Amino acid sequence: MPQSELNLSDSPTFTTARLVELWCAEPVFFASRELSDTYYTEGAIGNYALAYALGWARAPYRLTGKDTGRPRYREDLTPLAGQHYILPAWPVENSPSYRFERFNALSDAYWYAMTNNRVATAREDLPLKRTGKKPNTYRPSNFPQTGRLRIIDRGNRFQTLVFGEGELPEYIRVGKFTSKVRVDVGEALPVRQLPADTYRCNTYLNSADLPPDLEPFAFDLIAIPPASLLKNLQFHGEAWQIGNFLIPANLEFLGGNSRE
Amino acid sequence: MSIEKLQSFLAPNYENFPKGRTIGVVVLRTTQSETIFRTEGTGEPMCRESVQAGVQNTESILRLVMTKRKQVAPERRRGREFLRNHELLYTAPKSDSPCSLNTNAPCEMCVDCFLYGFAAGGEGAQKSRIWTEDAFSVLPSTELIGDRTINAVFETGTMRDEKGNASTALKTSEYIKPGVHFLDIATLKDVTADELRYALGNLLLTTRYGAVSSRVGRMENQILGVFGGISELPSSLELVQGVYDRLIAENVALEHPLNTNALIEATQSVINTWTNKRGISMQLSSEELDALIEDIDRHWSLDEQETFLKRLDESYQPYRQIKQQSTKKGRKNK
Repeated sequence: MPQSELNLSDSPTFTTARLVELWCAEPVFFASRELSDTYYTEGAIGNYALAYALGWARAPYRLTGKDTGRPRYREDLTPLAGQHYILPAWPVENSPSYRFERFNALSDAYWYAMTNNRVATAREDLPLKRTGKKPNTYRPSNFPQTGRLRIIDRGNRFQTLVFGEGELPEYIRVGKFTSKVRVDVGEALPVRQLPADTYRCNTYLNSADLPPDLEPFAFDLIAIPPASLLKNLQFHGEAWQIGNFLIPANLEFLGGNSRE
Repeated sequence: MSIEKLQSFLAPNYENFPKGRTIGVVVLRTTQSETIFRTEGTGEPMCRESVQAGVQNTESILRLVMTKRKQVAPERRRGREFLRNHELLYTAPKSDSPCSLNTNAPCEMCVDCFLYGFAAGGEGAQKSRIWTEDAFSVLPSTELIGDRTINAVFETGTMRDEKGNASTALKTSEYIKPGVHFLDIATLKDVTADELRYALGNLLLTTRYGAVSSRVGRMENQILGVFGGISELPSSLELVQGVYDRLIAENVALEHPLNTNALIEATQSVINTWTNKRGISMQLSSEELDALIEDIDRHWSLDEQETFLKRLDESYQPYRQIKQQSTKKGRKNK
């Protein structure tokens, strides 16, 4: 892989960036916030999700052992430093439109019972339950069986800036339900390096990707996992200007830190 | 055999990392009876959505939607019926119960678990390699929806029971008429030839969708095109919009019931232009498609079903052993 051959010390800063528009061919869902049995999607698409969706990094199909309990962002994304970077996508209209949906999950058995956050399937367990015992299939599970979803509606448009070369796919899949999103790539715009000063950023940013020497003054926080997004950031530091967009200079996935 | 033509887009065996092999399938789903697709519960309207009618015809219309959840769940269950019949569903490590959907205890070893995925298992997680997409009706939903009044009479045959109490089970409910066409796109990622046969077999063998599927929800699935490539086909929304434009250009009457042959022809002419698009390398010709479906039918036939499913089941063996060893270690440490 060319990624691993890259030497960080002489990594070139990006000279161009492309403005990309994302069009949601399907409703997009992320579990940004979970309130009781309602799951909210925030009006943004995180840049780590987009990096995987664009095929820059690939997560395995099957996870086993301790890999199931932890993300691989550091291993997967920091090798991209200096080669590729993408900002979190922000809605083109001021606020995206959402929809609410109910969901319920049923078993594939002919007989089932909705118990305490669990679909029970073993009819043999019924007599046990009547005696006051709690058979295994009746115990609550840490797994939602019914609930409501707030989803970014179909037809919403998002924008983001893509740094680095390389062709982008025409369609990507994002979100918990791998929703189809069309990628419309704009022209490459030059990246102008601006000296350290006080600036106001007009894109969304990933809080984990900011360079260490940046001085942030004020921002709005979109608190979502895995790393919160910032909007309307006012900061002191070097900046990049791309068309009408002003962002902090030297953004890299996880600040380019391949280790803690 | 046409499955050989797809060879470069098929995986020789299951691998853990994605390799960008994509097979796209264009599906026409036609309701054969009253059907109910809704997301908000009993008494709520059918799933519908306001979208642009065509690519060129920019007025917006309400279309019926068959959401991806309502496609993949019955199709998985269909395949699992056969797996269960041939005893190819394993015991879940977590609960000691046989593999079952939505009980938080997948077996992590069966064909269904490997192909359609699972989350929150005992040992790990598996991503689905079958990607579905919301399917749309071609015509506006106003043409396609009817109302039924439901009254549940008592065994006396009247709406009053023996004590004279009136039944409360009276309501009006919407349904989707028979003969409604949904256009759909399914995407298969890094599947082997046998996995392709399994997934498409599930799609062709599933006949019931939506709510109350023991009474209504009969549906016929037809595969109109199979593509191989390094990226996905355009979305089903763009397909249905392209077909709508084509039907208008050909002066097909846009009313229910819609002529199925005219619809298939319009769909063919839209998808035939796709091979030139970025990342879509080739489409099976109609003879090759027929041969592929024949191949699938043969593998699912009563005589060959067991051999086919067992062979597919065995292909995952290397991945199961890794898991079994690791559990052994875990026990020793305890």
